[in-house]
Amino acid sequence: MSLACSKISIDYGQRRALFDFDFALQPGRIHGLIGPNGSGKSTALQALAGLIKPASGSVELDGRQITTMSRREIARRLAFLPQQPSAPEEMTVEQLARQARFAHVGLLRGYGPHDEKLIAWALESTGVSDFAGRGLQELSGGERQRAWISAALAQEARILLLDEPTSYLDIGYQVEILDLIHRLSRDRGVSIVMAIHDINQAISVCDRISLLQGGRLVFDDEPRALAANNLVETVFRIRGRFVEITPGSPPHFDVELARWSDGARDH
Amino acid sequence: MNVGATRDLRADNALILPAWIGLTTIALALSVFMGVVDIPPVDVIAALVGKGSAQARSIIIDIRLPRVLVGMVVGVHFAVAGFILQSITRNPLADPSIMGISQGATLAVGVFLLFSVYIHNPGSNTLAELPLAWLPSIAIIGGLLAGLAIYAMAFGRNLGPIRLTICGVAVGALLHAVAIGLIAGWGSARIEILLEWLSGSLYARSWDHLRYLLPFTVVGLAMLPLIRRPLTMLRFDSSVSRSFGLSHKLHFSLALALACCLAASAVGVAGPIVFVGLIVPHLARFLAGRRFALVLPFTLALGIVVVTLGDLVGRLAGGAEEIPIGVVTAIFGAPLLLVLLRRMA
Repeated sequence: MSLACSKISIDYGQRRALFDFDFALQPGRIHGLIGPNGSGKSTALQALAGLIKPASGSVELDGRQITTMSRREIARRLAFLPQQPSAPEEMTVEQLARQARFAHVGLLRGYGPHDEKLIAWALESTGVSDFAGRGLQELSGGERQRAWISAALAQEARILLLDEPTSYLDIGYQVEILDLIHRLSRDRGVSIVMAIHDINQAISVCDRISLLQGGRLVFDDEPRALAANNLVETVFRIRGRFVEITPGSPPHFDVELARWSDGARDH
Repeated sequence: MNVGATRDLRADNALILPAWIGLTTIALALSVFMGVVDIPPVDVIAALVGKGSAQARSIIIDIRLPRVLVGMVVGVHFAVAGFILQSITRNPLADPSIMGISQGATLAVGVFLLFSVYIHNPGSNTLAELPLAWLPSIAIIGGLLAGLAIYAMAFGRNLGPIRLTICGVAVGALLHAVAIGLIAGWGSARIEILLEWLSGSLYARSWDHLRYLLPFTVVGLAMLPLIRRPLTMLRFDSSVSRSFGLSHKLHFSLALALACCLAASAVGVAGPIVFVGLIVPHLARFLAGRRFALVLPFTLALGIVVVTLGDLVGRLAGGAEEIPIGVVTAIFGAPLLLVLLRRMA
């Protein structure tokens, strides 16, 4: 399983949203994309999923140019989950996971025992089988997000691209989803790329981090290396510092809230 | 896993489908047995098996039966077209008349009649025979052109469901106005039959109508198994359906083309019967609830029931001057739509 791109640029009409973006996925690892709003995280993810065509450069999936592959070929290898995806209103958790088998069953083939087993397994491993018969609309944000991830598992994709999977969730659900993502990568060897807003969550969960600013990649390394420079402060235009809360644990970025520091700063 | 729940649904399905086949049969039977001319049921059966009086045979075999069958087929056409359009535009208000497809078909038929028939029969009081064999195909050309406009708007400008619908309404209104203008320019006796057709009517529909429409029905329904899964997937965001492995543009186009062909060919034969495409999928969805594999079969069955019973009401209520089916569906459809909207909210 490999997913990589070199020097891809993406244009929306006249505006260039991504400049010479480089990326290489490490198998079974979690790769985080961070950056301010509008910095190109979603654009980069969609380009990696083959959903938007780069103006220059190309994305390669398993050594093949993604533009030469059919959507079904891509779907058997890679699943993309947008931010707050919408589903038909009467759809249940189980039906969603069934839809995800499309890449394997196609237009006409019936669902065999293998498909049924995979659907049951996907529901089980994301902890949604207890409410598999309930409508997606009735679920809490965290349950719904897990249902969508279970669909990605039912799809048997070895690569998962997630656009801000924890946004709009309370802290309890955020941790639940991050735990699930971590387990998928460690226990099942699923490779994950995710856009994420919380810097500290990114540092503690991800094996590698890319930092984007205005559509340009300004950092691509291990999380610890991010603590060694002041990029977070300059890119997000905030003040703060990295602290080590317990020895051996990943560094924690402690942000100074402007309203408080304004008064504290000597004038 | 909820194996139990799945089994319950299967048991339900085993009961529901025969029930619907039964209801459809009853609707068809009622339409054949009842009519303005009161024929005793025994005589109707006699006529159906080729016995009885010549007069009864003529009424049942030559008039009622083809009319009921044409109604059944166009009901299926409009209902399935509405179901497809609502799925692919992800808009519960989509329907062949709202998206401008019926109007495209109407205009194409109007223009065709102008050039083929009326130019050769300049006398304004002679009523020329409509060239039946051509009507479904000509209507399809108009319907597909309107569909092309919808496609161009959906992908060229990347419109959301609401703006797409508003554009469809605008295109439809424009085409309708041109068609009406064209027909109004013809004068006297010709207008009458065209106005009847324009309001959606099954009056005097014959075996010929059925013969020319049926090939489109067979081909259209044969496509359904192929587009069943894509139709469900097209109801997701396109980034989701593409990530699931669907060639979004290809399947959107195929489904749209199929909806245009079904609706337009039915317009060619019976005129635009409004509200059927809009209401029937909602009723089907309402009745199917969570069992959404049943929505499509219900849509087919309800398409038949609504149009045949609607036409029966129109025939019986109006007496000798019957009420066109398009008027009946509009009268019953509008309040029904309001009820459904309230239940959905």
